[in-house]
Amino acid sequence: MEFYYGLAQTIGIHTLLGLSAYIILLTGQMSMAQAAFYAIGAYASGMLTVLWGWHIVPAMFAGAGLGAAAAAAVGFPALRVKGLMLVIATLAFGEGVRLFFFNFDYQIQKGNVKVGPLGGEGFRQIRYFPENGWTSDQVMLFVWLFVILIMALLWWFDRSRYGSVLRAVGDDELAAQSVGINLTAVKVSAMTIGGAIAGLAGSLYAHYTTHIEHLAFGVLQSIFALAYPIIGGLASVFGTLAAVVFVQGILVEGLRFLGDWRNLLFGALIIVAMVVRPSGFLDAQMFRNFRRWFGAGRSDA
Amino acid sequence: MFDFLQAVLDGILFGTTYSLIGIGFTLVFGVMHKINMAYAAASIGAAYLGLVTASVFKASSAWAVFGYSFVSGGVLGYFVYLICFHLIPLKNENATLMSTVGMLLLTDELISHATTGAPQNYPATLEDVMVRAGGLSVRGDLILVFCVSVACTAALLLLLYRTRLGLATRAVAQQPIAAQLCGIRVAQVNALTFVITGLLGGIAGALICSAVGSLSILLTGPLTVKGLIVTVIGGLGSVPGAIVAGLLVGGLENAFQHFRGVTERDMYVMLLLFAFLIFRPGGIFAKGRGRD
Repeated sequence: MEFYYGLAQTIGIHTLLGLSAYIILLTGQMSMAQAAFYAIGAYASGMLTVLWGWHIVPAMFAGAGLGAAAAAAVGFPALRVKGLMLVIATLAFGEGVRLFFFNFDYQIQKGNVKVGPLGGEGFRQIRYFPENGWTSDQVMLFVWLFVILIMALLWWFDRSRYGSVLRAVGDDELAAQSVGINLTAVKVSAMTIGGAIAGLAGSLYAHYTTHIEHLAFGVLQSIFALAYPIIGGLASVFGTLAAVVFVQGILVEGLRFLGDWRNLLFGALIIVAMVVRPSGFLDAQMFRNFRRWFGAGRSDA
Repeated sequence: MFDFLQAVLDGILFGTTYSLIGIGFTLVFGVMHKINMAYAAASIGAAYLGLVTASVFKASSAWAVFGYSFVSGGVLGYFVYLICFHLIPLKNENATLMSTVGMLLLTDELISHATTGAPQNYPATLEDVMVRAGGLSVRGDLILVFCVSVACTAALLLLLYRTRLGLATRAVAQQPIAAQLCGIRVAQVNALTFVITGLLGGIAGALICSAVGSLSILLTGPLTVKGLIVTVIGGLGSVPGAIVAGLLVGGLENAFQHFRGVTERDMYVMLLLFAFLIFRPGGIFAKGRGRD
């Protein structure tokens, strides 16, 4: 049972990470720095709970806030220029943040051990959950509470004016601009929300694994974050969830018996998914089909 | 002071390889307005294929390895074009970018699988040559890297500005629809661009591996990032910009390393990129705002 709780927590955290890239993708932009915002959230909230004894919820919000601030700071100069500039700027920013944490030391004496981030060795002993007696099913519920909250928020965005504006910018920038939408404001706001969600995911990740290090926040993690919504499709938040369940549940856990060959599958899977379904598995057409199949079933009865 | 000058000089010479990678990114961007994220990985892949082919044909001299890398680079370039750009509708920006990312991961994993993760020895060239001038000395193989890069760049510029194929490439880069109406086969030009950048990448990969002394997938990540930074600093789509930016990044990188140590140097390179994004977003040779 422990194993399934762990898997559910991983799926929840990765769903949040995927959703953080999803909202940016809605505006037609690609950010390769989701792992950096994730890292900022993880380190910030970990330091707050471990070094200064904060409660986890305010620490998480602080992590999310810092992630959002970083995303706005990196998005603003890059989005002002060209769309593809963002890919490169965020890729470089992501590597920069990882290297920052690789060089980052801040330890204080607590009892008879030193705690805090220590460069390449990472940040050990983020033991908020075990110290406060949370069981793993409680942690899982806590993670999923946030997953559901964020999914509901993004689902609501899709039904609001803001969501339409996001998609309008993503579909046709020129048309959106000519009806008076401020492109930079929309893109930077999506970036900021994405950064906040990634920061939140990072805070949960830090407390769930109890040990974080710079290697966990490399480019590969950003690619995972982008791959989920793109493979799953941008028509709805459920596409991202489906892709995470498929990749983490089936590809990573289910195919353990393949050993090393499993790593080859991920790259190949992305390529095949893009060739077969360039707009994702659950695209708009798929949702229309669902409605037709199930709608028709109801009218017959 | 001499140490510093020496470091910068070495950096500038090594920077020519960044220029080569940057040119590959920038050419594809100029012609198709796409980023081929798999480029640096495919270049290292070509260097590895060159090594394998050379050992199959029992020709272990460095020059044979270079030749085979050059050819395999072209083949890999066409392969990447076919899978990531030919089979996927070009209008779908996310899908084409993501598929090249998938290709990057796949290439990395294939190399790491084939080599069982161990770095491969790469034949060195001009190992014993050391040129001294004043108090400075320069490694012979870095001079070779520099000369080959310059020769490749010159050949590329000749191809772009003195041949019909180059004219067609530039026409597609400027106005794909008008080019098509003039009877240029756009798909063919796109494919050829990938083959040409692939050939360039094969040479770059082999040069980098021989300058470093070994081939490992640890090279692909930093090369991808550095190559893209060079592309932005030089201005997306500008070949001369990529060349100058490569030298600039190479030189500054070693200067940062001299003052702040190896673990911090790349952070300052990223900061350099952001300085350019804010103050000179069009790159070194910006000619006003380009089109999106």
